[in-house]
Amino acid sequence: MRTSPVRNGIQTGTIFGIIMVMMFLIGFTVIGAELIGKILGNPSISGMPDLIYFVIFMILVGVWCGVSAAKRPLYGPDSVKDAVLAGLSAGAICGLCAAVTGFIFGSVAANHIDVRAYLVSVSPESISMFTFNQNPTLGALALFGVMTLSSFLSALVAVEVRTSQKIRTMIENTSGSISETVHSQRISDLLNNKYARYGFYLIVAIALIILPRTWGGYWNYVFGTVGIYIILGLGLNIITGWAGQLVIGYVAFFAIGAYTFALLTAPVPHNLLWNFWIALALGIVVAGISGLLIGLPILNLRGDYLAIVTLGFSEIIRILLKSDLLTTFTGGPRGVHDVGGPTLFGSSFNTDVDFMYIIIIAVLVVSFLAYRLQNSHTGKAWVAINLDETVARATGINAFVSKLLALALSAAIAGLAGALFASRNQFTGPDDHQLMVAINVICLVIVGGIGNIPGIFLGAFALKGLPEILREIENYRMLVFGILLIVMMRLRPEGFLPAKRPVLEKFTADQRSSTDPASHPGNLETNTPPGKGK
Amino acid sequence: MESTHKLGMQVCIETQKVSKIFGGLTAVNAVNLSVPEGAIASIIGPNGAGKTTLFNCISGYYKPEHGQIIFYGQQIQGEQTYSVASFGIARTYQNIRLFADMTAIENIIVGQYPRFTANWMDAIISTRREQNEEKIAIEEGRRLLKFVGLEGLGDHLARNLPYGAQRRLEIARALANKPRLLLLDEPTAGMNPQETDKMTHFIRSLRDELGITILLIEHDMRVVMDISDQITVLDYGTKIAEGKPREIQSNQKVIEAYLGPGGSSLTKKYQLRKKQRHAIIN
Repeated sequence: MRTSPVRNGIQTGTIFGIIMVMMFLIGFTVIGAELIGKILGNPSISGMPDLIYFVIFMILVGVWCGVSAAKRPLYGPDSVKDAVLAGLSAGAICGLCAAVTGFIFGSVAANHIDVRAYLVSVSPESISMFTFNQNPTLGALALFGVMTLSSFLSALVAVEVRTSQKIRTMIENTSGSISETVHSQRISDLLNNKYARYGFYLIVAIALIILPRTWGGYWNYVFGTVGIYIILGLGLNIITGWAGQLVIGYVAFFAIGAYTFALLTAPVPHNLLWNFWIALALGIVVAGISGLLIGLPILNLRGDYLAIVTLGFSEIIRILLKSDLLTTFTGGPRGVHDVGGPTLFGSSFNTDVDFMYIIIIAVLVVSFLAYRLQNSHTGKAWVAINLDETVARATGINAFVSKLLALALSAAIAGLAGALFASRNQFTGPDDHQLMVAINVICLVIVGGIGNIPGIFLGAFALKGLPEILREIENYRMLVFGILLIVMMRLRPEGFLPAKRPVLEKFTADQRSSTDPASHPGNLETNTPPGKGK
Repeated sequence: MESTHKLGMQVCIETQKVSKIFGGLTAVNAVNLSVPEGAIASIIGPNGAGKTTLFNCISGYYKPEHGQIIFYGQQIQGEQTYSVASFGIARTYQNIRLFADMTAIENIIVGQYPRFTANWMDAIISTRREQNEEKIAIEEGRRLLKFVGLEGLGDHLARNLPYGAQRRLEIARALANKPRLLLLDEPTAGMNPQETDKMTHFIRSLRDELGITILLIEHDMRVVMDISDQITVLDYGTKIAEGKPREIQSNQKVIEAYLGPGGSSLTKKYQLRKKQRHAIIN
């Protein structure tokens, strides 16, 4: 049974209409227009973006609406009329929602009532922009017109694209997803070529040496942060990605590393002024031991106890650091200032460029450790525990010790990240160690590809690098994270770059190409009684 | 048809008055069981008789409230499951429990875990010990894949294998530990007669060629009568009979446990009628 295209269009239109109204109410229409202005190379100076950028923003929403209405998988290639009808009705409904909102708020603003008392983001400027600087009636009509028209036209184009075989194959050819590119035959062949691999490593090494020197302090700061989050992600991946034990309060170990390092190297409150490297090592060890101690009483239990205990632990640590109780020992809410920087052979070594190098080396070392652990028996035991703990125990794995080791290693790596973070900022305080840090790390591991090392790099760049670059959406970070996580769970629960199991039975190339057992008919059906051939 | 395999003199596994109580329910009640080395022993009984609970007690998943479990002269009751595995007891499960998101060969490599000596430090600095063990583990994995007839499927995820292959992979994982005792929980469940025949043959070859003592739970009486050296019958957690297949077939208590009170007279009638029919045909 076919659903009618108009009804479909109305459904899509309603969703987009609600999104549109919500975006207006939280002030995202202004932000969107600003972003478009920035992308088109014309940042607004007066604070409000030009009207034209808002129109472009609206048209983009309309286009999206139209395309998704036309894309509903009910129409065959010949039903251009249906698809366009769906696009038109979707645009009309979406436009109607926008128009009603615009009319109401326009009228309210025309009567000089400030709605900001109730809706903090709806400023008079944003209302006037929403109605195209016209009076409410005209603005509402214009909104309706823009949405309907853009949706209709985009639906038309979308159907045209979909029905045209030529364009379709072209799109299919060009739009291979990231993971397909990374795991494609050609690239894996290239990586298997020894010289190509060494050449690639050489290029990366040169880039890593040259870039920090040339791209300036701002980028060193941004990518330094990304690097620290990569370290955190790799650490969390051991206990959560491989061993499958959710740790929510991962920031606790980050804080322990940071404070251990800071207190050992800062002049106030203890004036210890230890050497950078010794303090760094101690920070790692102390964080690792704290992980061990947290794990001892709870890792013998199954389920999500670890998540809850670490959640509580991280809050206790943060509140303790903030409290008066420990002010003399940890500096209290003001934190620890003048944390020591790195030294090398007696000379100071703490420009932003030098620090970038240290972070790069730390990332490489941690990735190397993670890679080696992943391919070891220990790594396989972790994955086995993750998949089925009962069976893992019955195959002879001491699950408690394995999980404890994973947690201690994770915590130690977080300690390293914390010490580097404190040293780079030359400061650490309780507010550096809020739960949000841990949530960010969990997000980046999940989004990037849980259990996969390159995935974590990608996740860290996407979740920590991009928001730094796109400052405008800073306030909407939580919203974007939420949406991103929901979308990921729906569309790609295994992450952008999902983990791959190694090929161990055969190393030859012909084996790698086939991934479904159906391509090995010989072995499935003719199972001669095994053991006979002995 | 009873197996004529010559049994060793040594006792492989012995349970002495083992009881397991869940709240008010006695799932296993003072069960004595003794399996000589090199035997294929079956445990049968109606649903809920406590067969799997007894398995779980032997493999260390449950700690029995009373009694002793002795494996080659060593008491193992109450030990952790991983130590029981390292003593040389491996098991499979009623509903297949593989590491579904690992490849087939990785499942077998994990199965060899008790034999690994390299730790995480070895892994990080990639010592010779680690490299050797890894190499041996992969070779052993390939050998076992071949042994159970899954050659060439080793790099597929376990979840993607067909049902019969998953059953055999589970046994291969259990064998990877080089066990002296193998506990099989309904190895032919869900198989058609041809597959069941192959599995029966395979189980016998495990004993004949590898010398592994086998204790199995099975509902398919054809399989049980075919391969067992000894059969133990449980009902409501209590052992009601023990003996060779032929003895069990004619045991009154067993028939009543399966068919209810009066069952034995039913079977007598049935056998009588069968005999008559035979007489007519002949």
